[in-house]
Amino acid sequence: MIGSVFAQKKTTTSATVSFDATTSLDSGPKADNKTVIAAIDTQTGSVQFEANVKNFTFANPTMQGHFNGDKWLNSNEFPTFTFKGNIVDKSSVNFAQDGSYKTEAEGILSVKGIEKKVKVPGTIVVKGGNISVSANFSIALADYGISGVPVDAGKVAKQPKITVSAELK
Amino acid sequence: MTKQKRPMLKKMLGTGLVLVTIAAGIYWYVATEKFSDTKDRKAEFTVKAIDFIREFANNDSAANRKYADKIITVNGTVSEIEAADTTVNIKFIDTASSAYAIFAFQEQHLAEAKSVKVGDSVSIKGSCSGGVFSEILGTEYITFKRCALNK
Repeated sequence: MIGSVFAQKKTTTSATVSFDATTSLDSGPKADNKTVIAAIDTQTGSVQFEANVKNFTFANPTMQGHFNGDKWLNSNEFPTFTFKGNIVDKSSVNFAQDGSYKTEAEGILSVKGIEKKVKVPGTIVVKGGNISVSANFSIALADYGISGVPVDAGKVAKQPKITVSAELK
Repeated sequence: MTKQKRPMLKKMLGTGLVLVTIAAGIYWYVATEKFSDTKDRKAEFTVKAIDFIREFANNDSAANRKYADKIITVNGTVSEIEAADTTVNIKFIDTASSAYAIFAFQEQHLAEAKSVKVGDSVSIKGSCSGGVFSEILGTEYITFKRCALNK
């Protein structure tokens, strides 16, 4: 019974994932999505994220259209980004004790229906039973079959930066 | 012969210059274009929150064809307010199925979103990003972006 106190799934439906593919030639290709679903199982160390691609918000309507279009993310056919993985060294995080823990999650990132194994460094903060997660990493667009003239012309970064933040309860 | 070619060359250069100017103007317009304030947009549909959520839960393909990428006004009672980065999202939840609609607000409307409380009757206008079944939660969810409160 004592062990089960922390054996639970913490979730949020308002995690934020930001995508920054800006370059010195174009400051436009960046967006964020503040309605991402995230879950951490504090017993097993499993980590999951799920984002509706269409809810990435750009400042520029044309860029948002291209992002969702057939040549890029094709969000009508592939409506979600998902990550399913685990904390690499679960003993590096003590979910029962308040603190800030540097850790890594390893798992499968699915973008546009293409699944790739990724390892993501991040920080988990435990405070009063709540969990905050933050992570910064890059993905290679080519790994997910995304290419085109703007990428070749240097107007869209070949390896956009991804920033994740979530407060799970 | 040379004299006849020069006016033609001038005409071609002039036409080329006009075309380049038009192309540059279009590029500038597209590159600097911004989404307008959702408050000023006309909603294509006005719906009741629970009926709307159930329409997606019953058949999300049909509901996505009808509502996705459109401006929708959703009226309902706030079920939950959730911290999102430095701001908040507002949710309507169908307690019978746990399916929900969630609204992320446009920059200029963040302060008004923070003033809303659970149980308030509100009218929210936003860009519908459609509904998806969540494998994590085992339920349908509908997301909105660039939202504003109707007052």
